[in-house]
Amino acid sequence: MSPDRPLVRVVDDDESVRRAVGELLRSVGFSVVAYRSAQDFLSEDKPDKPGCLVLDVHLPGLTGLELQKELVGTERALPIIFLTGMGDIPMSVSAMKGGAVEFLTKPFDTPSLLEAVRSAVEKDREDRLERKKLCLLKERYESLTPREREVMQRIVAGRMNKQIAAEFGTSEATVKEQRARVMLKMQAESLVTLVLMARRLGL
Amino acid sequence: MTTALVITRLVSKMRLSLERLRVSLEDLRRAEEGSRQQAALLDLTHDTVLVRDSQGRLTFWNRAAHELYGWSAEEAIGQPTHKLLRTEFPAPLAAVEAELHRTGRWEGELTQSRRDDSRIVVASRWSLQRDVDAQPVATLETNNDITARKRAEDALSQAQAELARVARVTTLGQLAASIAHEVNQPLTAIIADSSAALNWLALEQPDLDKARAALLAIAKDGARAAKVLTHIRGMLSSRSEQPYQACDVCTVVRETLLLLRGEFARHSIRVDTSLPPERPLMVMGDPIQLQQVLLNLLLNAVEASKDVAADRRCIVVATSLRGDESRGAVVIDVRDMGVGVDDVALPRLFEPFYTTKPGGLGMGLSVGKAIVERHAGQLWVSRNADYGVTFHVSIPALP
Repeated sequence: MSPDRPLVRVVDDDESVRRAVGELLRSVGFSVVAYRSAQDFLSEDKPDKPGCLVLDVHLPGLTGLELQKELVGTERALPIIFLTGMGDIPMSVSAMKGGAVEFLTKPFDTPSLLEAVRSAVEKDREDRLERKKLCLLKERYESLTPREREVMQRIVAGRMNKQIAAEFGTSEATVKEQRARVMLKMQAESLVTLVLMARRLGL
Repeated sequence: MTTALVITRLVSKMRLSLERLRVSLEDLRRAEEGSRQQAALLDLTHDTVLVRDSQGRLTFWNRAAHELYGWSAEEAIGQPTHKLLRTEFPAPLAAVEAELHRTGRWEGELTQSRRDDSRIVVASRWSLQRDVDAQPVATLETNNDITARKRAEDALSQAQAELARVARVTTLGQLAASIAHEVNQPLTAIIADSSAALNWLALEQPDLDKARAALLAIAKDGARAAKVLTHIRGMLSSRSEQPYQACDVCTVVRETLLLLRGEFARHSIRVDTSLPPERPLMVMGDPIQLQQVLLNLLLNAVEASKDVAADRRCIVVATSLRGDESRGAVVIDVRDMGVGVDDVALPRLFEPFYTTKPGGLGMGLSVGKAIVERHAGQLWVSRNADYGVTFHVSIPALP
């Protein structure tokens, strides 16, 4: 198994479905790990492997929708393709709002599933890239001194050097120097880029 | 002198003999009167009384027999009994006769014909009369017409079976989504497996082993879907009540759970079973009706469990044998950890039309109780120490 081949996690309590969906995905070249419950997935999955999650809605114990809520916004988040034997509209709305890639009603046709898995895998690649970028950004931000962070906050709020100097009771030249260091450490080539970075950091 | 004496003695003896004869005649007359009175008394009873000799020919036929069957005593006496009445026995006649000769008695239900050809059911009691040498000489048969009672019983039993069937069909109607789910699962697997098989075969180096495995799985899942449908057809069939048969309670439990898997999945309910694997637990009964009872208990458990926290969404089905081998009972326990039953509802649960569910008919438990009682069993409920309730079904075990 090549390390960068996407890993599809299949979670379904029905043995036949779990095995057959797994085989189908393997037959087109994906690596697959199958779990019979959401709890098994949570305790055994290796989140560092890129890929996606094919998840039955109606699982005994923790349901598919409950698992989705647990994962959303965490480091373990994976694009989810929901499978359901009995889909209703409120349920699918809830799943899609929670960021699901696709909501397939059993029995589904093969192209729909493969298409959904491919786009989910692609989305995960992008998500991971984004998460990596955000992580780098955080590292850069954390390399700023407390005063530099204060200055950065004021720059992105649109304050002039003069105003910032007045507020901190320092010279304009000092602020100018601090501002240059912020731009350098954050690797921002322009004020616009810095503003975008601040937004992504949630400042 | 001597002659006179002899004559006198002879006369005296003759008088004595005559007197004895008179007494004997008197006894005989009295005896005849007695038996006439007894026969007259037998004519007064509503039970038919008939006596047949060792050849099976009628020797006595009371008025009630005349009234019931339509033949007078004159017509009946001398006729072969079973031929005249075209009697149908519950067991082979030889076995009936054997019991009569062994114990001197026999009791059972007979179907017989009347003079107008109509058939009647009688509760019949036979007793054997033997002579001084213990040889059977006659059989006394008393028959009680129970046709009307039998007919009412049959009608009641048919009505109950029909009610049970309607309740069953209604329940299955509620389960339509679940049943679709139960067929959808194998269909989903079949579609995925067939694509996988094609993909394995389309490789530059076709992977025959994997293709074969996928095809085998397809066959298995096809059979699984067919089994669900066969099962449902059985539950929906419009047949009337079947004669009871020996059936394994564990199989009944497994087949019912199969039907409900979709329902459990839909509400994310875990089901644990504790079915003793060593040997089947046999009872006499109608497996479809027993499944119906279980179906209702499990649906109630689902209803009680579906809105509680995830760790309490669990139903346990356990079967066990209680008591000793000869007088034991097979007990099925259905335990949930759901919302439970309050003090108001608990004593009323088995009443017809009593329901705590919106849209519920209130028939499930009352029909279930009736079914279990027709199996000579009991259905009752108890509260669990922690959460929810347990329903218990107890049915006499077959040795």
